Amino acid sequence: MNVVELNNVDQMYAGGVLALSDVSVSIEAGQVVGLVGENGAGKTTLMRIAMGMLGPRRGTVRLFGLDPRHDAVGVKRRIGYVSEDQILPAFLRVDRVIDLHRSLFPTWDDALAMRLAERFKISPKAKIRTLSKGQARQVALLCAVAHRPELLLLDEPAGGLDPAARREFLETSIRLLNEAGTAILFSSHYLTDVERMADRLVMLHDGRVLIDSDLDTLRESYSLALFPANGAVSRERLLALDGCLGVRERSGGLRALFALAPAETSELLEETVGIGDAPCHRIGLEEMFIELVGGQA
Amino acid sequence: MQLFIAPGDELPIYRQIMRQITDAIAGGRLGAGEKLASQRDLAEQLVVSPLTVKKAYDELEREGLIRTERGRGTFVAERAAVDPERQRQHLRAGARRLMSRARLSGVSLAEVVALLHEVEAELGLAPAGDGLGSAGGDGTPAPLSDHPFDQPHDQEEPES
Repeated sequence: MNVVELNNVDQMYAGGVLALSDVSVSIEAGQVVGLVGENGAGKTTLMRIAMGMLGPRRGTVRLFGLDPRHDAVGVKRRIGYVSEDQILPAFLRVDRVIDLHRSLFPTWDDALAMRLAERFKISPKAKIRTLSKGQARQVALLCAVAHRPELLLLDEPAGGLDPAARREFLETSIRLLNEAGTAILFSSHYLTDVERMADRLVMLHDGRVLIDSDLDTLRESYSLALFPANGAVSRERLLALDGCLGVRERSGGLRALFALAPAETSELLEETVGIGDAPCHRIGLEEMFIELVGGQA
Repeated sequence: MQLFIAPGDELPIYRQIMRQITDAIAGGRLGAGEKLASQRDLAEQLVVSPLTVKKAYDELEREGLIRTERGRGTFVAERAAVDPERQRQHLRAGARRLMSRARLSGVSLAEVVALLHEVEAELGLAPAGDGLGSAGGDGTPAPLSDHPFDQPHDQEEPES
């Protein structure tokens, strides 16, 4: 059974703007899924729907086979959540915040909480407001995982952290994965973090799922073909080809992204548009992202 | 043994791990029977997903370069465990690519051979026939890394 199962989910922002449109995503136990997309692409909305904080306007949501709107407590006890804008009570001491969370979760693992607190070197007596941003995020992570959730939702968990604190956060998440096999859905603008952590990538664009793929497949079976500004082939012609995901115009030439390995793309171009010599490159995540959502010029 | 990975590199992370372990075995820095870091430890050390490390180890095992013993760990395979036919096929596919590239850029066979000697030295491999290091003295060539050709191909590519 899948840990998360979203089927044909629609959601609106206040004001009737479509936030998610026909989104279907599922996550298996132990899988790490990176969620990427520009600001406003629908990442946070998707997380909130997965948690049951929002109901979908249309479509179905199941966590562990349960409807989070009907089984709110049962579902929340099995998930952990950390977000960039999460606010812990500033006047409380770290140990009080931890106590608070312990009281909410019957499966709380004191030994794990202690181990994490020690690793983070955060004094239990410290007040939240005296902590650095990175330390506060670590306390939030501790509180999100010490009940050993089956699913961890991380919404921009590294947002606002310096590189060292970000890496530390990733290291802890990897250790948790190793220890507990928790499934993780995390959104991030740091594509190198996604590349390190994730087994699968889901890219949202304008509220739709643009890419949902195993990360290695994505790296090995996608390529970018470059065409000079000689008008040998049109944008429309390329877009109509099987496997073409997008075409961008840059400095007069065209750049087309294909869901095919470079050699296959070359072959396809030769057979269909009679251009056998367009350079086809493998492409990193960051470039892929820009090719898909970047502007035309 | 220390590994280093670079997200954003042209190769996916599991291939970067495979390449470095393959190089270390070929270059004798990892000897037959030597123990590798556990998948969990390596995932934590490199800060990458445990499934990525598992994938790299699974592939290396399929290629006969390492073997996993339940409960004991993962070890560099003895030479005998490497399927010579499979290795040969790998090499052949790579050689085809190398030769067609050489032809395209007007590089002669002799120059390619010279290049191979240079690469051999770079990787710290014993010259063939010397039987030094972990090669066992019987002249068996060490299993070579496939990475100079970017990607191993199981099927031979048709000549074009």
